[in-house]
Amino acid sequence: MSKKPNQTGGVDTHSPLPADGAEKLHHYVSTAPFDLRSVEKLTPEQEKIYFASQLTLMWWKFKRHRVAVWSGIFLLLLYASVLFSEFLSPWNYQTRHSKYIYVPPQSIHLFHEGEFQGPFVYGLSRKLNLETMTRDYTVNTKQIVKLSFFCNGDSYHWMGLIPGNNHLVCAPTGKPFFLLGTDRLGRDMLSRIIQGARISLTIGLLGIAVSFLLGIVIGGAAGYYGGWVDMIVQRIIEVLQSIPTIPLWLTLSAIMPASWSPIVIYFGITIILGLLDWTGLARAVRSKLLSLREEEYVLAARLIGASPSRIIGRHLIPGFMSHLIASATITIPTMILGETALSFLGLGLREPITSWGVLLNEAQSINVVAVFPWLMLPVVPVIFVIIAFNFLGDGLRDAADPYK
Amino acid sequence: MTRLSLFCTCLLTAAAVALTPVLAGPPDEPRIINLPELEKSVGKKGGSIDILMGKSKDIRMMTVYSGARLVAYDQTFQLQPDLLKSINIDSNKSFTLHLRKGHKWSDGTPFTTEDFRYWWEDVANNETLEKSGVPQQMLSNGKPPVVDIIDSHTIRYTWEEVNPLFLTALAGARPLYIYMPAHYMKQYHEKYADPAKLTALIESEKVQNWASLHKRFGRQYRPENPKLPTLQAWMNTTKLPSERIVFKANPNFHRIDNEGTQLPYLDQVIMNIVSSEIIPAKTGTGESALQARYVRFDNYAFLKQGAEAGGYKVLLWPSGKGSEMTLIPNMNSADEGFRNAFQDKRVRRALSLGINRTEINETIFFGLAREGGNSVLPSSPLYKDEFADAWAMHNVDKANALLDEAGFDKRTSDGTRLMPDGREFEIIIETAGEQSQETDILQLITDHWKSIGVKLFVKPSQRDILRRRVSSGETVMSTWEGLNRGLATPDMNPEELAPVSSVQAQWPVWGLHFESKGSGGEAPTDEKVKRLSELYSKWRAAGDRDQQTLIWEEMLSIFTDEVYTIGVVSGGLQPIVVSNKLRNVPEEGIWAFEPTLYFGHYLPDTFWLEE
Repeated sequence: MSKKPNQTGGVDTHSPLPADGAEKLHHYVSTAPFDLRSVEKLTPEQEKIYFASQLTLMWWKFKRHRVAVWSGIFLLLLYASVLFSEFLSPWNYQTRHSKYIYVPPQSIHLFHEGEFQGPFVYGLSRKLNLETMTRDYTVNTKQIVKLSFFCNGDSYHWMGLIPGNNHLVCAPTGKPFFLLGTDRLGRDMLSRIIQGARISLTIGLLGIAVSFLLGIVIGGAAGYYGGWVDMIVQRIIEVLQSIPTIPLWLTLSAIMPASWSPIVIYFGITIILGLLDWTGLARAVRSKLLSLREEEYVLAARLIGASPSRIIGRHLIPGFMSHLIASATITIPTMILGETALSFLGLGLREPITSWGVLLNEAQSINVVAVFPWLMLPVVPVIFVIIAFNFLGDGLRDAADPYK
Repeated sequence: MTRLSLFCTCLLTAAAVALTPVLAGPPDEPRIINLPELEKSVGKKGGSIDILMGKSKDIRMMTVYSGARLVAYDQTFQLQPDLLKSINIDSNKSFTLHLRKGHKWSDGTPFTTEDFRYWWEDVANNETLEKSGVPQQMLSNGKPPVVDIIDSHTIRYTWEEVNPLFLTALAGARPLYIYMPAHYMKQYHEKYADPAKLTALIESEKVQNWASLHKRFGRQYRPENPKLPTLQAWMNTTKLPSERIVFKANPNFHRIDNEGTQLPYLDQVIMNIVSSEIIPAKTGTGESALQARYVRFDNYAFLKQGAEAGGYKVLLWPSGKGSEMTLIPNMNSADEGFRNAFQDKRVRRALSLGINRTEINETIFFGLAREGGNSVLPSSPLYKDEFADAWAMHNVDKANALLDEAGFDKRTSDGTRLMPDGREFEIIIETAGEQSQETDILQLITDHWKSIGVKLFVKPSQRDILRRRVSSGETVMSTWEGLNRGLATPDMNPEELAPVSSVQAQWPVWGLHFESKGSGGEAPTDEKVKRLSELYSKWRAAGDRDQQTLIWEEMLSIFTDEVYTIGVVSGGLQPIVVSNKLRNVPEEGIWAFEPTLYFGHYLPDTFWLEE
């Protein structure tokens, strides 16, 4: 310990304070402009750091987490594709090509016999194999199916509203162009996966919105008021959490009548997922609030006369925003998996709507695994999205954590 | 040598069922199966095979596969005595049944006319046991037969009027049992059992009365009780519930091969109960020596891939059902709008015309099925093109015209028709949800029906729940398989074409009316349905084959022309997986519950294992 305990004891002659027993000082306020920076000179680099806003700081910290950044970009691109699913998919996802059932994935070529042709796929010739009862497709290298871009193809209704027929890439009508193969009714898998992304990705966002709203409001009230409000909320949460999830999903989704339009069922499922998911979040919010409400700045705010909702919203929640962000990014994949699980069991979304879960539900037979493995491809985007969300959540939590 | 080993197995089996060892063996007058004549080889006794089933209820399949009936269909679908030595028929009114001398139940007790008398007097005519009385098939014009027991091996049933149902019922896949192992069942019968013992049993088994006890232990079709003696080729030796049910050869089975070896060849059939979804996968690795149930056409490519490694071959037998899948509008629906709609034949016909069967055939059935309505199959003597093709051609214009005419002429902006009561014409079709094939077909039909302005929604359900919902009228349309008797001959029962039962999804209420003899349900209001009902009664009274043929034809004509059931395609193929070691399974056959009893018709007792 190099510091002397009596350093401020008044022995020091350089002290600005008058010596003991001296005459009282007059009350004095300096009129000279005071500039903090004059005390300690900062280099421009230092200035950038010391005067950065909290958001900027978070952004810098986040940027250093490379994987999280790439995950974020990947997810942004995916979510952007959701807006243009119909345009990006080569076919309408419901178009059946009865001549091309169970076509394996094709590959794109640029050169034909050494000559540049632009992107094209080779045609297919089909033979019914009565020995194995399969449709055997052989690549017909004589037939070239040229691909065109920004072309007119299958018609669709964009977002179910605006009619259109523009596609990013398409082949002439009736010609095979199935980059990820086709299913048992001859529908293009690539188009189905692209369109399935719309449902599978947004169901997570909508579900999380519902569960966040419920979690913050209910958990916030329980944590802030404590007492009997807390007691009741805790008991409700315990009851909800003790119910096994799958049977509860089953019951709730069985309630939805078959004649509901797919889009209503979609919202129904979202709400079901959200309604069941808020409990964990509410608990987290409550326990954080219970500790934070004892802080002095909360007391100060209360003394000034701030209303409970302002105290919770303005002073308490920002205090554990990082936690909320982390649980949000981790809950979105749970929602996506929830939808996938429900649909996989045949209880979630149904045809004609398509989602990754619906696609996987169709792939759950031994035939697919053994004979038509490309039908399991929807697993790939599910895995990537979940991993990306987890990395992103990780990066965000590190960046936003005020305790680090 | 064979004699000796045979003798040993018999003794062992007898000891296993813990009964006094009686000299086991075939009857003194066995049924001789001439194997070369059936293009089968003479086999060796012994061996055990495994088969797979999805539910423990499927234990009844052994009774179907085993195929021992009092009378059975031969290879040309003529009825021949099987368990019986012979039968004398006097103009379908009087039937004299002769039993085989020395024929014994699986436990060694002689099989005699006492077993018939016991069933007739103490079971069928016992009010506590059979509340609804004697089974339908034993009545002719509502009257029961006179039963004469001539001696211990001869019994005669005589009706005042003809009873064409009697023999076909005895040969059914789920046969009419007119006998019961009396010596065993008497311990559960009030009339014979020691009252104290019976009360104790009722208590220990936790049942209400002796009748439930008698029913529980006396199920012959579903051999759940390992102690119940049987006449089938294999007998159950496992107490349920169990995932592994072991059937042992019946040492007293009544058939022998042409070299004198008693059948069945296989000592043991082990039925493994697994989830039905993994049966194709398990079959593909060779875990079943003989599998067709729960294996579907769309598994064929997969099964074929594994054939070499799994040591099996895959045969394809055409299905014997009238249609692979039928859409059945419920004419007795509780919903008045749909009831009126479906009672209108124009609507039913339009819905049938609106289906593009060619696409379904190409997409789902590899183009190998036959596009047509729900009718009998081309190999049936009753088949006519006009029956199968009635209202089965894809014709959107005609369908639209018919619907317009029927009052469904208004449409919403997206082209959906409005029902006369103003609702959109949205049909919710309920399926038993067991096959993905059904869902695929329905998906195609949903698209086809869009072009005639009809919306279709599919609601998967569960078989038993669906049956209940159909009967109560909650379901407006359901899917089932087509006619079971797709291979009908004129002497087979045409009951599937007439309103006779509450499980018939097109007219459950009218069927109940007949079934309950008028006390439940409602009488049919539709003229043509009434006519079918009339024709059915006429068939029951018909004396000869010509008359039966005429009646069958008229019934088929009405049934197909009125489109009570909307068939899609017929003659789908059923993969049959047979282990390479298993002999005598015919390359060609027909897969049907009736009249071929699935495998039963092809004599599984003659199947044998080559080392």
